[in-house]
Amino acid sequence: MITTTRRTFLTTIAAVAVLPSVAVAQDASQILRAAFDNWRADSSHGVVDMTIHRSNGNRNLSMESWTEGHDKALVRFTAPERDAGNATLQNGRRTWVFNPRLNQVIQLPNSAMSQSWMGSDFSYNDLTKTEQIINDYTHTIIETSRSNGHTVYTIEAIPKRGKPIVWGKQIIQIRDDFVLLRQDFYDQVGNLVRSMVTDRVRIMGGRPYPVQLTMSSVQSPGEWTRLNTRSIEFGVQHPSYLFTRSNLQNPRN
Amino acid sequence: MNNFGILRTIAWRNLWRNPKRTLITLIVVTVGLWSILAFSMLLNAWAESSRQNALGLLIGQGQIHAAGYMDDPNIDHLMPPPDGALRDVLDSDGVAHWVARLQLPGVVQSEYKTLPITILGVDPAGEREISLVPDKIVEGRYLNGLDDDAVIIGANLAKRLKTTLGRRIILMSTGADGYLEEYSFDIVGIFDADQGFEDSYVFTGRSLLQEYMGLDDEIAQISFVLPDESGLPAMIDTLKAAAPDLDIRDWKQVSVMAAAMNSAMKSIIYIWLGIMIIMMSIGIINTQLMAVFERTQEFGLIRAIGLKPRMVLWLVTLESALLMAVGMVLGVILAVLTYFGFQGGLDLSGFSRAMEAIGSGQVLYPQFAPADFVIYPVLIWVIGVLVALWPAYRAQKISPVEAMRHAT
Repeated sequence: MITTTRRTFLTTIAAVAVLPSVAVAQDASQILRAAFDNWRADSSHGVVDMTIHRSNGNRNLSMESWTEGHDKALVRFTAPERDAGNATLQNGRRTWVFNPRLNQVIQLPNSAMSQSWMGSDFSYNDLTKTEQIINDYTHTIIETSRSNGHTVYTIEAIPKRGKPIVWGKQIIQIRDDFVLLRQDFYDQVGNLVRSMVTDRVRIMGGRPYPVQLTMSSVQSPGEWTRLNTRSIEFGVQHPSYLFTRSNLQNPRN
Repeated sequence: MNNFGILRTIAWRNLWRNPKRTLITLIVVTVGLWSILAFSMLLNAWAESSRQNALGLLIGQGQIHAAGYMDDPNIDHLMPPPDGALRDVLDSDGVAHWVARLQLPGVVQSEYKTLPITILGVDPAGEREISLVPDKIVEGRYLNGLDDDAVIIGANLAKRLKTTLGRRIILMSTGADGYLEEYSFDIVGIFDADQGFEDSYVFTGRSLLQEYMGLDDEIAQISFVLPDESGLPAMIDTLKAAAPDLDIRDWKQVSVMAAAMNSAMKSIIYIWLGIMIIMMSIGIINTQLMAVFERTQEFGLIRAIGLKPRMVLWLVTLESALLMAVGMVLGVILAVLTYFGFQGGLDLSGFSRAMEAIGSGQVLYPQFAPADFVIYPVLIWVIGVLVALWPAYRAQKISPVEAMRHAT
């Protein structure tokens, strides 16, 4: 009984704490910032499955990921056997990959950053340039709608002049609890190029989280990559060695 | 001597006693020589056109780089703009034009594709003097100045990137600090060259690129042309003396491909010459042998009235020599007519895509090499006369008795 009361009380506290930010966050940029903060937080540690769907079948991979801030990330694959041990490390502007079979760490050349990550529909840039959408675009709310009891903001993001962005625009849908629902990438003449869609939202790590995301490209219909977050915790204190090259090659965690 | 005069008269008359047979051989020889000469003019035209094309786009007649750049063309192997002795040589009358470029390996990115590319920061005013690229803009404009922040890309690259004039692309390269620099550029012009070139290079303003890459005024390359190409070896030496630390090369060393094309053309001409000589020889031997066979009675008769076997050999050889000589003269006349016919250029724009693929321009200008018009006919004539010795030898062996038996 007490616990129930306490839980209700905590929920109320949480709701009250969130409310002002919702009120303020009517500004498109703030909604976007909140959504990306919600997604990545200050730090996180998660377990994610990835399904790569191609015409000749599916490839299923599992990985463990650690992030800190917006420019430190480590992803280490755990399954299947032949991909296990492959790891990608981002620290600041540099990205390294580790291949256990070669026992080699390679710093990714610039040219490789837009290449496919582990054969998926995501590129290395998708992993490392998450801040770009916030800093290098101007944002406008073009639509506010209701869906499943939530307010959904549709935000149009247009690259700022001179910023190194190929897209003509991005259309992003964010729910009022700052869950990213959809991200559409358009070319410069307004054709849709690729979409990332949130298929499922669940409370995970104490917050509503897009646990299943599907990325697909208009260019290759019938092919997609799905990320399924199995578990994630936020606000984790990572050891300082975590995002280093030596840890990439010789994991201590 | 008198004997030879008579023989010559008889040989000449013999030729026209059977005009049909003679004409066939004559046509083979004439057309053979004409084809060799015409083919050589065309191939030389092609070689010259593709060389001019290759050199005209970027290479120039020679290039200067910092030591090490050619082996590893990146931002670590740049050089300051030319000054002192080198500058004096480049500005002298011995050099018609020169330009300094910043050339860096990089990556070009559109919404749909990311491709490796060579990024060139150029001086548009200088490029207009030295490069064909400004004339090859098919859409939009060329660059305006050293700080033009726009980009010119090739038609095929635009197609591969699925982008068009007016849209923006991202160019990336490693900057002076070792980090990736990426900047957005508007496409203001599309150029049309051969496909390989279109896919390899993009152009922007030099000062701008230097600024973006965190450089001061460093350049990667100087390209130059001379008023007269014959002065090239001497100029290379002069430049080397003026700038001993730099890597100075003529076009053959810069573009192994252009040099290889050039020498491959020559080989093709010789191969064709060989094939034509063999075919003509077979033709001559065949017709002459047939002729000797048909004329068994005649040879028997002249032997019977006292002509020595050696004289018969001379007679037949002389017939071949005369026939070949007429053929050579006609062949040369035809080839010269062909040259004058196409002097204004052979317009192959109908096959422009194919011509691009072989790296040539759309209009070929036949190259008149007077030496070819002397050497080839003489060579073919000598070989033709030599092979005709065999039928002549057969003719000399015909005895009157044999000839009589043959007649019955």
